[in-house]
Parts: sequence; structure tokens; C-alpha cells
Amino acid sequence: MRLLLVEDEIDIQGFLRRSLQEAGYEVEVAPDAKAAEQLAVESQFDILVVDLGLPDRDGISLILRLRELGLRAPVLILSARRSVDDRVRGLEQGGDDYLTKPFALAELLARLRNLLKRNSPQASEATRLRVLDLELDLLRREATRGGQTLQLTQQEFVLLEYLCRNAGRVVTRSMILDQVWGMRIQPDTNVVDVHIYRLRGKVDGAGQQPLIRTMRGVGYVFNDR
Amino acid sequence: MSLMTDNAPLRSAAWRISFLATIAFACGTLVIFVFLHQFVSNDIQRRSDAWLSGEVGVLGDVAGRTPRNALYGRVVGEIAELAAREVPNKSASEGNANNSVFFLQTSADGLLQLWVGAGDGQSNLEAIKTTKFLPDKPTDVRVSGFPVPFRVACQQIGDGSHIYLGLSERDELRVLTKLRLRFFLLWLLVVLLGFGIVFLTTRRMLSHVRKITEVASRIGHSDLSRRVPATRRNDEVSQLAHTLNRMLDRIESSMHQLHTITDALAHDLRSPLTAIRGKLEMSLVAMNGEESAEPIVSVIEELDQLTDFLNKSLDVAEARADALRLTRTEIDLSQLLETMVDLYEPSMTEKGLNIRLSSEKGIIVLGDEGLVHRMIANLLDNELKHLAPASSIDISLQCSGDLASLVFEDDGNGFDPEVLEHLFIRRVKGRNSTGHGLGLAFVDAVARAHSGSVDVENRRSRGARIRVSLPLAPEERRHQLTATAQAG
Repeated sequence: MRLLLVEDEIDIQGFLRRSLQEAGYEVEVAPDAKAAEQLAVESQFDILVVDLGLPDRDGISLILRLRELGLRAPVLILSARRSVDDRVRGLEQGGDDYLTKPFALAELLARLRNLLKRNSPQASEATRLRVLDLELDLLRREATRGGQTLQLTQQEFVLLEYLCRNAGRVVTRSMILDQVWGMRIQPDTNVVDVHIYRLRGKVDGAGQQPLIRTMRGVGYVFNDR
Repeated sequence: MSLMTDNAPLRSAAWRISFLATIAFACGTLVIFVFLHQFVSNDIQRRSDAWLSGEVGVLGDVAGRTPRNALYGRVVGEIAELAAREVPNKSASEGNANNSVFFLQTSADGLLQLWVGAGDGQSNLEAIKTTKFLPDKPTDVRVSGFPVPFRVACQQIGDGSHIYLGLSERDELRVLTKLRLRFFLLWLLVVLLGFGIVFLTTRRMLSHVRKITEVASRIGHSDLSRRVPATRRNDEVSQLAHTLNRMLDRIESSMHQLHTITDALAHDLRSPLTAIRGKLEMSLVAMNGEESAEPIVSVIEELDQLTDFLNKSLDVAEARADALRLTRTEIDLSQLLETMVDLYEPSMTEKGLNIRLSSEKGIIVLGDEGLVHRMIANLLDNELKHLAPASSIDISLQCSGDLASLVFEDDGNGFDPEVLEHLFIRRVKGRNSTGHGLGLAFVDAVARAHSGSVDVENRRSRGARIRVSLPLAPEERRHQLTATAQAG
């Protein structure tokens, strides 16, 4: 996957490039809009990460310019601004996504994956999810572990489904809040942890291999081995 | 926006001004007319009195000189008839003068000697006998059988007999009546016309003021780019508009400056925070769950708190300056609250708190999704952090008028009375509070940015009550109206 990172802050550029490479992306970096435009014209990218506060031009107008030039790849917008302005909302509706700084790396990676998945031809949606001996029937909204049906509430099922779909990857609390509850909030209490704790009590029974693991300071990993 | 568009003309200033102006004008013209009327009626009276005095003198002269023979009656009668044809103020339509003039002569012992006029003169004689006459001064005499009084002049002649010449005031009154009627019609016309002109002019002028008010009220927290309409004329109203516009220019520029500063501050703090957080996270992943990673974990958590604090501080600062930028969408508060309670319920239960929600369905507000979500999360975080175990929280959401009213009630210890007074001021927190003291200031800031309000009080029994009021979305108001109309 070829990724174009447009970011002028050297510090952020550095760690983003490294962690994106570790995640398997082939990363090109442009420090300003001019370089980005040149790179985008010269070669093909699968996805772009664009910071809004570029030294020579506004990130949004860069994206609009690249779209004019025929860019089809999805864009993840990084914003250090506090309010999401209407133009970002417009791009979001057009299939792009945004993330406010500072962010968790896990969330950045998850959003990139989502953007790529959205833009790739959709494989027919599975009706069953399977992680080890845990099985989710998405049509009947039923979960079983080792043949035993789990007594889950609707909300718990949605949470478990989200974890299963991201099995093996780190998910943060704010990702869970965004994807499961549809809110971009940062509660300064342990609301998400308690939900996970409850779910873990139902999913990881005694003597079974624990599926939900807490990664302190980052979030949770489902079936991380 | 419904400041002046209620379309109640009776309450508008244009109506009031034209009403008062018309009353003043009508009263003034009425007073002038009364004077004029008085003058005209006096003048008419004076003319008829002069005529009567002259004629009665002539008749007295003739009567005195004419010998008292068989021809006396005919001669004097003839003269009287002639005199009657020259009656002043006589209306043209009235051919027969006999009705309006009479001549009467009485002998020294008061008997009727000679009569010229309509009827036999007996009733006139009766009336004259009961009236006291002054020489050379005509007097009003009411004769039975005639609706209008006569003006009668009297003269005594040599043999002790009296002659009387009477002139009906009918014509005089008719002239005055006609005058009054014409005046009244003209007066009505002029007053109505004047009212119309004043009303239209003031309404036109005030409609500019109304437009200015409408636009000015629409210039909300975030939309400062609009300007009130200014007319080309250089009158008071357009001066008002220009002054308002200049004021708006200044507000817009200082608002812009504030945004530039807060944005720059946010950007300059967030970029290093992003870099620090990213690097910490990478080293955390590299350590792969070692014990020594614990400090890094807590630094990341503190960084997140710092970010949250930065966001809220800037939001509160902007909201205090009425400069919070909103991206408004329709938010179903009922549904949002249900989801929120769902999210917080396990944590509450964990802590031994009891949470109850009673909510009306379909309450929709027009608001900034992110801010409203964070506001409600803040209120719930607040309860979760500060309530002692085994307390309960009652949350209710309902419409009251055109407001959505969200009430949080608990039976905890309530607010510290000292803190209660300046609860919405930044960085005020209770003695045992662990937060950064921004929670309720943020809630207040968001509510105010949405033209709403927050009231906080300690309940009389126990605990605290927080009421957040937000204006309903306009459409919602319409739904409500139709709903009540159908119910009624």
C-alpha cells in the first residue's frame, strides 16, 4: 500500500513515518502542499494523510486541487484545529475521514484501514464472524463460545462484533465510543472499561483462553497472541 | 426572529404614532371649527337683527303716519308683505315667505289689531304677551306650533299700540346645520386621509427599523458576516443602520482576532502534544507490556487529560466571548440521552449508584453534535465522580414551551454553598473535587452558545439539581403545535 503523508512538523512526520512503515505501508513524505502536489502527479497512491495546517497552503484546498487533478485515493485529514469546519464535513461526506490531534496511533491505523476497505470492491458481507472458538451469528444476533450460547445484551453484542472485526489489532477507548456508541467524546471516567469488564466476564469464562486483553495506556486487543 | 413579525398592527409603533397624531389633529381642527361656527352664527344673528330693527322702524313710521281708516290695514299689510320679501339668509327653495315672517300690531289694551303672516296670529300674540321686550333689541320668541323660535323686534307707536315684526330663525339654523354637516364630512375626510398618510409613512420608516432588528437578531453567535440593510437616504434610520454595521465590523474583527489567537494556541500546543504522544506510544509498543512501561502509560493518560483540559478551556473562553463556532445539525436529544445513559449505566451500577431516566420521545434540538455530546457526557461524568455510593440520579427530559428541558437530580451532598455562587466561573471546584474545575463551566458555555441556559441549585430535601434548557429545533416546535392542535 502506497501512502502519501503531507505533514510539515518534523517531529510528527518522523514518528508517523516510522509507525506507518511498521504497519506495512510504503510511505512517501511531503513537507508542504507544493511537494505533495508534485508527488501525487508523479506517482499513484492508495491513500493520503494530510495535515490541515501546511506552511504554503491550506490542507483542504490542497485536497480539492488534487481531486481536480484526478486523485481518487481516500484522504485522512489531520487537524490541530478545534472545530471541524464545514469543508471538512463536506469531505467527510465525500468518503474521506478526519482525526484531530493529538491522536492515538491505533486510531490512525484503524481509520486508514476503514478508508481503504470502503474504497476497495466490497466482498459480500459475511453473516458469521469467527475468532478461535467464539462465533457470532450476525443475522440472528447470537454469540456462542465453545458451543455455549452467550447471554449478551444488544449493546454488548455490538461491542463484541466491533472487537471481533478488529481482532488482533489495538482499539482505543475513543474508537470504541465512536464506532459502538457513535460519539466523539473523551469521558474522564472509566465508562468504556466497565463495559469491557462486563463483556469479558461473559465471554472469557473460567478455564478458557482470555480473548480480551487490556493494553494499558493504549486500549484493548482482541485475541492478541 | 419573531421579535416584531407577530403582525399585530394594533401593537405596532406606527399604529400608535398615527393614532396619537390623528387625535391631536382632529381635536385641533375641531376647536378651530367651534370658534368659526360661533363667529358665523353671531354674524348671521347680527344681520337679521339689523334687518329686523330697520324694518320695524320703517313699519312703525308707516303705521304712525297712515290715518286710521278702512285702508289702514291694507296699507300697513302691503308694506309688511313687501318687507317680508327682503328677508336676509332666505333659502332660495322657500317661495312662500309667510312662514318665516310675521307682522303683528296690538292696540294699547293688548288686543290683536293687525296680522300679516301664516295662521290667525293668536298663538303668536300669546307668545309675545309672555315675553318681555327691550326697545331696539330683537328677542327670541317661542311660538307654539312652530319648531324653531322667532326673532321678534318691537316698536311702540304714538297711540300706545305696539307693532311686532317676527323673523323665523329657521333659515339661520338651516345655514348653520348645513355648515356643520359640510364641516363634519370634510373633517372626517381630512382626518382619515391624515391618519392614512401618517400611518403609511411611519410604517414605511419603521419597517426599515424592523428589518434592521430582524437581521440584527439573526446575527448570532457564529454568523457575524451579515450586515443590516441601509437605505440610501441619510436619515436617522439609515444612520442607525450604519452605526450598527460599523459596530458589527468591530465585533467581527475582534472575534476574528480571538479565533486566530485560540486557533494558534491550540495548534501550537497540539502539535508537540501529538509528537510526544506518538513517540511515547511507539516506545510503549516496543516495550511490549513490560513492568517498566508503567510510567509511560501514566504519562500518556496525563497527556490525554491535558488535551481535554486545553480543549475545554478554549471552548469555555470562546463561549464566554460568545464566539464559539458551531456546526449545527438536528440532534435527537431523547435518543442521545438514552444512548448516553446506556453507556454510563454499568459504571454507575459498579459504583452503587442508581440511575433513572424519564424522557419524552422525539425532542429535537439544532446544535453542534460534538459539543452537545461532550456536554451531556460531562454532566454524567460529574455525577459519577462526585456522588457517594448508594445515591440515585434522576434524569428527565421534556419540552417546556419552546425549550427542551434536561434535568439532573441527585440525592447526594449537593453543592458547597460557597461554590454554588460562582459555579460557572472557570476553575471553581469543591473542596473534595478531583477535576480541573471546568466541568460545569463547560456545560454552561455549550448551553449559552446554543442560546440556552443552565440553572444549578441545591434541592430543598437533599442533593443537587442541574437544569439545562436548550431551544427546540424550529421544526420540532411546529410538530408540537400540530400535535396539540390535534389533541385539542
